Amino acid sequence: MHIEVEETAVGPVRLFRINTGSCNGCDVELAVTSAVTEFDVEQLGCRYTESAHEADIVLITGPLTIRARDEVLRLYAQAPRDKVTVAVGVCPVSGGVFRDSYAVDGPIERHLPVDVNIPGCPPRPQALLAGIGAALEIRRARRDGEEPARNPDHRKHHGTDNFPARGRMSYDAKACVDCRMCRHVCAAGAIRFEAGDGGVRLTLWHNSCVFCGLCSHYCPTGALSVTGDWRLDHRAADAFTQIERGEVPYAPCTGCGEAIIPTAPQLLHAAFRRPNPEIEKLKNLCPACRQLMSIGVPRR
Amino acid sequence: MTDLTTNVAAALAMAAGEEINVLWRRDRKGVLTGWCRLPCGEALLPAARAVAELEGRLAMVTPYLPERAKEKGEREIAYHFDLDGATLTLTVVLPLEWARVPSLTPIFRNCDWQERELMELYDVQVVGHPDPRRLFLDHTLPHAPFERLVPYSTFTNAATGKALWDKVLAGEREDA
Amino acid sequence: MTTKIIELGAHQLALEEPMYFRVKLEGDRVADLDVLPGQVHRGMEHLVMRRNLYQNITLLERLCSLCSNSHPSTFCAAVEEVAGIAIPERAEYLRAVADEIKRIASHLFCCAVQANAIGETPLFRRIMEVREIMQRAKEAIYGNRMDLAANVIGGVRYDLTPEAAAYLAGAMEEMKRPLDELYLQFGNNPALMARMAWVGVLPREAAVECAVVGPVARACGIDYDVRKKSPYGAYDRLKFEVPSQTAGDVRARNLVRLAEARQSVSLIEQCLAQLPAGPLCADNLPEIPAGEAIAKSEAPRGELMYYLRTDGSDFPVRLKWRVPSYMNWDALKVMLKGEPVGNIPLIVNSIDPCIACTDR
Repeated sequence: MHIEVEETAVGPVRLFRINTGSCNGCDVELAVTSAVTEFDVEQLGCRYTESAHEADIVLITGPLTIRARDEVLRLYAQAPRDKVTVAVGVCPVSGGVFRDSYAVDGPIERHLPVDVNIPGCPPRPQALLAGIGAALEIRRARRDGEEPARNPDHRKHHGTDNFPARGRMSYDAKACVDCRMCRHVCAAGAIRFEAGDGGVRLTLWHNSCVFCGLCSHYCPTGALSVTGDWRLDHRAADAFTQIERGEVPYAPCTGCGEAIIPTAPQLLHAAFRRPNPEIEKLKNLCPACRQLMSIGVPRR
Repeated sequence: MTDLTTNVAAALAMAAGEEINVLWRRDRKGVLTGWCRLPCGEALLPAARAVAELEGRLAMVTPYLPERAKEKGEREIAYHFDLDGATLTLTVVLPLEWARVPSLTPIFRNCDWQERELMELYDVQVVGHPDPRRLFLDHTLPHAPFERLVPYSTFTNAATGKALWDKVLAGEREDA
Repeated sequence: MTTKIIELGAHQLALEEPMYFRVKLEGDRVADLDVLPGQVHRGMEHLVMRRNLYQNITLLERLCSLCSNSHPSTFCAAVEEVAGIAIPERAEYLRAVADEIKRIASHLFCCAVQANAIGETPLFRRIMEVREIMQRAKEAIYGNRMDLAANVIGGVRYDLTPEAAAYLAGAMEEMKRPLDELYLQFGNNPALMARMAWVGVLPREAAVECAVVGPVARACGIDYDVRKKSPYGAYDRLKFEVPSQTAGDVRARNLVRLAEARQSVSLIEQCLAQLPAGPLCADNLPEIPAGEAIAKSEAPRGELMYYLRTDGSDFPVRLKWRVPSYMNWDALKVMLKGEPVGNIPLIVNSIDPCIACTDR
């Protein structure tokens, strides 16, 4: 017994992957972390195992299909009790683009406890290594009987990024005109609009976002943009606070005083390049007052 | 018209015993697609045989509920064949209820999975299929999920999205 | 002779994805096979009817990561056919660049996995390192190593700046020698020959009967490539050969793939040389009328076909597709018959099985 404990203390930490019905993106990138020297999990003192019984860390990919569920839970139950569980990609956490399908039984947290999430679609190998690193920290802390540190300062860009990776979305409420095209084109349902007392609020959930950037492509004013921030791994307990949000405040119509969303200067510039003062005046008017100003009578 | 369109017209006419109209479209690159609605379900088997004689390859089978399917009491199945780069689509119109089609597996071996999928996703009986087991659907799922027109929240777990967002928004309030 | 039935899953078959087989053995040889798919069935053909045409661009890219670009580009082509949109010439070339980049990476992954399946670990690692050139190029140009987000209805949503084009040209130069070396190695190395030649044979007649497509068909002498038979996008202005073999074995399939990857390098170079100036997209938000259309493309695994039916709204009435892997599973019954059990993982991986694509 003694010898065994000592062996595991110095031997490699064993990783076991379970595919719950993924598009294979996360799985292929995990294969890279066992085949390509630059990203080899060996550098973290880990190696992959083919046996669930040996798993120190379980890596879960995919949205969990109904057909795969029993086998997934069987394999998971085979893994030792003190394993650390990592959800790879956004699918296990929210279902990603597959959410609400008749054939999907996620999110995974309904069936088993997750410790670390690695958002991405799929996460790049650097992000996978960072997430596995976070799992190792939890494992170490648990062994030492400590509470693992919650928010290590890791939001630093990778030194060797010559080209920016498609990372977290960023939202600039000042440029938003509340047209909601972003929500319309989002396959993953990652964007919500809510009308409040003071304005309209946008919330974008990074654990649902699949980092395709289509919202930004169709955004007429550049209110949504793709950042190069790919380092998004976090404790599973923080899954629901991984958000981007902002509020577009209402302003009174300069004609009648009704609360409206004024037209952002970005939209005027997109439409007119160099708007004249007459056009500028329109931006703070409600539709009825705009009609009054341009055609003399409000349309009914 | 080309040899191909002439040959297809002749073969289909021979099979059906009457003139069958095929609408051909040529795209910007010169690729042909032919569209043909078969007069009745019985015409499918001879027409498929005729396509096989022309060395056609079964490419895909598309069952669907067309626009106003309920109103008209009709459904359709489109059989797409490859003819050396051109695509010929033979469409059969079937009743919405108790729809039956003959299996094309005796003519096209690769129709096997296409028909198994069609049988589990839609309420269509494929007569003479050698292996009518489910293919993709889990045994716990109800038969023919594609028959239920959207939305049907009791069947899908459309509630998941809402439940997740409730947590996101609740977390946000705690934060503030 | 004893008859026995065994069940094989992803771990026994060295697959990245879950798939199960029931194999009937006579002695230690395969007598029959039952393929049990469905583990990755995500109900995608149903989901696409509940998402609008824009959302489906991203959803379809997540059908499968290995041929991810083929799905949105073929889907967009179907929408464009319904709407009568001619995409700008520059967009045609940029779609071809994206598709060919993915083809090289996909073919290399397939060859790497097979090397791993026969215990040739150094070769497996070597191919994966070569593939990294493509992975880096994808991330550099598209911002992601798997899902390129290159397509929109009416064209593309990425551009090649002169710097990016120069970088890509450099990457293509870097690919040539390793691809030539790998071709020779898969063709002539005695250790690989011993495992791959005359193994998993699919005779031409059986290939026609099973209706297989792509490299699996071309390895049996069936000279069919959608880029030639039904030209689309920029392919009618590009010069390339369609490599084929006649042996129909594991070795032939890999030689086809490696020769194709080399052709893809040439195709990308031609695109870079001919890339016309002009817009990237025909119309950002086009009207999509009621109609139906077929669109086809040559995905890494072969002919990919989409059928789209619309009613004038931006939700499809029906969107159906058939992936090239779909027919290859049936051909495994022919390839595996009489083979020893030990060859099963290699032969299964030699069809470049895509389970996410098959199950949808």
